[in-house]
Amino acid sequence: MIEPVLKVETLTGPAGAVAIFDVSMAVDPGCTTVVLGPIHAGKTMLMRHLVGLEAAEHGTIIVDGEAFDARGEPDVVLRRMRARIGVVFQGAALISRLSALDNVELPLLEHTNATADEASDAAHALLTEAGLVNDHDTDPAQLGRAAQRRVALARALALRPPVMLLDEPTQGLDPHAASELDETLARLQSVNGFGLVIFSHDVRYAFGRADQIYVMSNGSVIEQGTPEAVRESDNDVVHRLLNRRGAA
Amino acid sequence: MTVVPGERATDNDAPTSTGTWPVPVGASRFITRGKLALSAAYWLAWLSFSRRTVIGTGIQREFVSLGLGSLRLVSAASILVGLIAIFQIAYQLSEYGAEMMSVRAIGWFTAREFGPVGVALMVVARSAAGIAGELASMRANGEIDALRAMGLDPVKYLVAPKLAALLVAMPTLTILADGLITFGGWLGSTFILKYSTAFFLDQYRVAFEVRDLVIGLAKSLIFAFVIVLVSADEGLNVEGRVAAIGEAATRAVVYAVIGVLGVDTLVNAIFYFIPVLA
Repeated sequence: MIEPVLKVETLTGPAGAVAIFDVSMAVDPGCTTVVLGPIHAGKTMLMRHLVGLEAAEHGTIIVDGEAFDARGEPDVVLRRMRARIGVVFQGAALISRLSALDNVELPLLEHTNATADEASDAAHALLTEAGLVNDHDTDPAQLGRAAQRRVALARALALRPPVMLLDEPTQGLDPHAASELDETLARLQSVNGFGLVIFSHDVRYAFGRADQIYVMSNGSVIEQGTPEAVRESDNDVVHRLLNRRGAA
Repeated sequence: MTVVPGERATDNDAPTSTGTWPVPVGASRFITRGKLALSAAYWLAWLSFSRRTVIGTGIQREFVSLGLGSLRLVSAASILVGLIAIFQIAYQLSEYGAEMMSVRAIGWFTAREFGPVGVALMVVARSAAGIAGELASMRANGEIDALRAMGLDPVKYLVAPKLAALLVAMPTLTILADGLITFGGWLGSTFILKYSTAFFLDQYRVAFEVRDLVIGLAKSLIFAFVIVLVSADEGLNVEGRVAAIGEAATRAVVYAVIGVLGVDTLVNAIFYFIPVLA
């Protein structure tokens, strides 16, 4: 039996201002899981919990076999967890004062023993692998949205994490750029074998991309399964979401 | 599988695209400032002694921005302060027939007060809002979260370099300001009050003590800490709305001015009540 690379058990949080309730999920290596839901469903909040940016009321997050208390861990433990999870935030969230190359070098220099030259070579290779062949020394603000996402993708991939989280990866991109980015993502996943979790409100994208879908509404998972199983759901909220967004 | 939730979040509970913003208030604000100070001091020491390559610490960039960027303001303002000081002191002392003492007063106050405090207030005016605004917009854009999500400490990459740069820039600017305030005083005494340069130098030499210069430079280092920590704390702890960036910048200036003057008052009070230290 394959062990999930990411497992979430009864996650409720954030502490003191609960917005997600008893969320449990499992992500297998090499598989794509889409967390689907409308805006304010709790998707981004769930992602923030998974990388320790929010402290939960209760719950456990198991990454690559190691369990972490979602209520909060010491910095040194969080650091270990974060090194195993690559994150691409909505809008890329590149460090604006650094070049594209420096953004990718950051985690390499922080988490590995690479020298400056080694980190630079590795960052060039990662950017190229993520589809950004030129403009490595360009400031993020000078790059287009699609290129920024590619830099963020390269940065998230820098430590070759077993899990990658992407928040609305194609939002704001034209269909052609979105499709190209998605192809790159699929190629990177097949080469690196990471478990991929995509947080999206785009029903068409979710059903076209996912091996497994978790549907969230009002902070809770209301349905989960393969795209076919979710499409057959008898949950009214899921029905309304799918019909309104035209996935069926 | 259908999951039935026991309790529902309302729209008000829902996170924004960048999540919730636990903004410390009241007494907890002092705790965050204390933690930030310790963290910044730790990373400053790390940056100073570690042989590891750190990317983007940008100490040089910060020095250019915070230090060299203040050069014109500090230079122009210092000469004017020197002129204003000698006019005002000479005018006040003329009532007692002691106008000549105005040059000594420049010597007494420049290195210990006018220079370091003037530079600190000018750096606050020019840079505190910039520091807070930069960090606040980075937080609003999710850059701070991105750093944390990569396991990187934002204080190490964003605050410690500013602190390092200002710890070098402030004493340097203070020495420059001391010189230019004195120059302004000399201009006033020579061309307006009509004293000779030799008289000015004689009087200044009597009043000036190296000890004053050392104390002034020590104060400038403390002011650098205050300015960076207050501004960074305001910038890093903003709410997730655009208007909050401007508010954080304004608060940074207000609190940094109060912080600088508060520290200066404290230092002067200590010297007054414990004269052996002065």
